[in-house]
Amino acid sequence: MIETKSTPIIQLQKVDKFFGEFQALKNVNLEVHKGQKVVVCGPSGSGKSTMIHCINRLEKHDNGRIVVAGIELNDSLKNIDAVRSEIGMVFQQFNLFPHLKVIDNLMLAPRLVRKVKKAEARKIAMTYLERVHIPEQAEKYPIQLSGGQQQRVAIARALCMNPEIMLFDEPTSALDPEMISEVLDVMVELAKEGMTMICVTHEMGFARSVADLMVFMDEGEIVESAVPDDFFANPKSERTKLFLSQILSH
Amino acid sequence: MEFDFALIVESVPKMATGIGITLQLLVLATIIGTALAVCTVLMRISKIPLLSWPAMVYIYIFRGTPMLVQIFLIYYGLSQFQAVRDSFFWIALRDPFWCAIIAFSVNVGAYTAEILRGGIQGVDEGQLRAATALGLSKSQRFIHITTPIAIRLALPAFGNETVSLLKSTALASTITMFDITGVARTIMAQTFAPYEIFISAAIVYLFIAWFIQIGVALAERRFSRHMQR
Amino acid sequence: MYVVVGWLDEFLWGALVVLQIFMVGMTMAVIWGLLGAAAKLSKIPVFSVLASVYTTVFRAVPELLVLLIFYFGSAITLTAIAKLINPDIQFVDIPPFWAGSFAISLIIGAYAAETFRGAFQGVDPGQIKAARSLGMSATHTFFYVRLPQMWRLALPGFGNHMLSMMKDTALISVIGVEEILYTAEIATSITMQPFTMYMVVAIIYLVFTTVIMAIIQVLEKTANRHLESV
Ligand SMILES: Nc1ncnc2c1ncn2[C@@H]1O[C@H](COP(=O)(O)OP(=O)(O)OP(=O)(O)O)[C@@H](O)[C@H]1O
Ligand SMILES: [Mg+2]
Repeated sequence: MIETKSTPIIQLQKVDKFFGEFQALKNVNLEVHKGQKVVVCGPSGSGKSTMIHCINRLEKHDNGRIVVAGIELNDSLKNIDAVRSEIGMVFQQFNLFPHLKVIDNLMLAPRLVRKVKKAEARKIAMTYLERVHIPEQAEKYPIQLSGGQQQRVAIARALCMNPEIMLFDEPTSALDPEMISEVLDVMVELAKEGMTMICVTHEMGFARSVADLMVFMDEGEIVESAVPDDFFANPKSERTKLFLSQILSH
Repeated sequence: MEFDFALIVESVPKMATGIGITLQLLVLATIIGTALAVCTVLMRISKIPLLSWPAMVYIYIFRGTPMLVQIFLIYYGLSQFQAVRDSFFWIALRDPFWCAIIAFSVNVGAYTAEILRGGIQGVDEGQLRAATALGLSKSQRFIHITTPIAIRLALPAFGNETVSLLKSTALASTITMFDITGVARTIMAQTFAPYEIFISAAIVYLFIAWFIQIGVALAERRFSRHMQR
Repeated sequence: MYVVVGWLDEFLWGALVVLQIFMVGMTMAVIWGLLGAAAKLSKIPVFSVLASVYTTVFRAVPELLVLLIFYFGSAITLTAIAKLINPDIQFVDIPPFWAGSFAISLIIGAYAAETFRGAFQGVDPGQIKAARSLGMSATHTFFYVRLPQMWRLALPGFGNHMLSMMKDTALISVIGVEEILYTAEIATSITMQPFTMYMVVAIIYLVFTTVIMAIIQVLEKTANRHLESV
């Protein structure tokens, strides 16, 4: 684990989140330092998506503090915008804009949010399309691409905003098995370049090779967090053991 | 000018006779029209052009022209021909009630046929394939799988279509019928109190529309019993 | 059939009036539809309740009745006001063209409000999340992500509303606007050939609705271009 003395780039302190009566997050504490890769796993409905949605305010947390790059997430719209500009996000269902060509999907936010000139935005977009190895698909519409290609476009789209942090919410669970590795490869490359990442995923091979920290969630709580070696070799909680035995057995 | 509530209270009962006519138009046209729609949709989805083409043309013409024009064509227009006036059908065709019924029914037939076609097309391929695999014949599949599912899918649109027909029955007042709107227009000509009279009539229509919605909701419940836990 | 020839220019003028009512009515209907949809989606209860009342009433009351309420209602209201100013005035009305277009636009607007609301909600919430996660503002998200996708969802319904609007223009003859149905009535009273005259009206409408259907088809094709996998 890379120990840094600097303040963490992401800090969650005693975070609670409610959906009506239902508590989706319970006293969640998490610190992520610059360059760290965190892999989050846990059973369905355990609050993984909710947690990372709270980190860029796609959901509003109810109690506790969330601080990203020194900016506290509260009702200040300025702060929310500032935090979002630090964070890129990749979704399970890709969420590419279907009415825009691949290249326009990539250029939209830089142009609107960063006010980048058209030619410049195109250049940036092409750079990142090359990074995810599909520059030749630039002029197609999302539906004309395979799932793996769409997800790589989604990663490139997030990278175009030049984020400090990338959040991945089960980026490979909607993909056919043969496409999973092409997306994971891109993520591994990104990790090697030093990107700060939080990945919700059940791809344990990926977790072993890139994670600095494993986090296991269940019923809205962080049950266990440890470096991968410890996490896989001797999990402390019974719930973690059970989950790992289920997920690794097939 | 003031709003006369007493006049509303007074005129709603007067519309009672009109309600009878409106409901007769509504029910008769729905029954005849639906029967027509079933025939039409069967022709429409047939692979034989000689059947599907006439159905398409019929739907196209009646969906493409205003119902008021159709009503005038039938009620006023047909009398232009001596042959029609001499024929057996003249008994019906000189009667505004039957002319209205004809016009409404053919419209319901055209619109409902399209609704039913939507329902039929909405039936999941997989379920039909499963039925084929189980050895059901083509007609068995249509009767036992396609029809019940299609009816369930078409019900909401059918409800809207019936409310639509209710609204169209008001057009009968233009060919001297005393349905709700017809009665309202007569009272209005006597009192010249358009707000009170026409709003009373509107309230009556709202109630009937509301009953139709309830009826359709009940039918939907009945047809989706299998989806309730 | 040649009797029609003598009435050709009257019918042509009438057809122009129909087109005018259609254009004016459709424009207003879009405005009511957008306002109605916004009100329905609003978190302020007064707005959403008012919008529900509007769409419920105007979709359940016969078009003809709405037309009569607006025309005669506005007439007696205006007359009453005019009498306050000058007691000698007997009757004032809003020109039937405007009263009629307005009444029909309110009806079609009620349907359009439902269509627009459905389209708004039909856009995948993931799209909005993706836009927000890229740092796009609410306004940018609406105009660049939601609206372009709403358009595709709203088109089929909106196409039907255009057809309804076109056919509803026929009702306006009832309050004396000189459009084609009115022309046919006059022509019938002189030529005694009702079938011929009403047939002309039906054909004119069929031409109009066919053109509208063709336009809708082209629009739908354009709107769905990006969804065709090659
Ligand atoms: N918008 C919402 N409204 C109400 N409840 C919600 C909402 N979003 C999530 N929940 C609930 O919160 C809990 C946590 O959901 P979350 O999506 O974070 O789970 P997850 O760990 O990501 O699961 P999965 O692996 O299925 O994606 C679930 O029980 C879910 O039903
Ligand atoms: Mg999730």
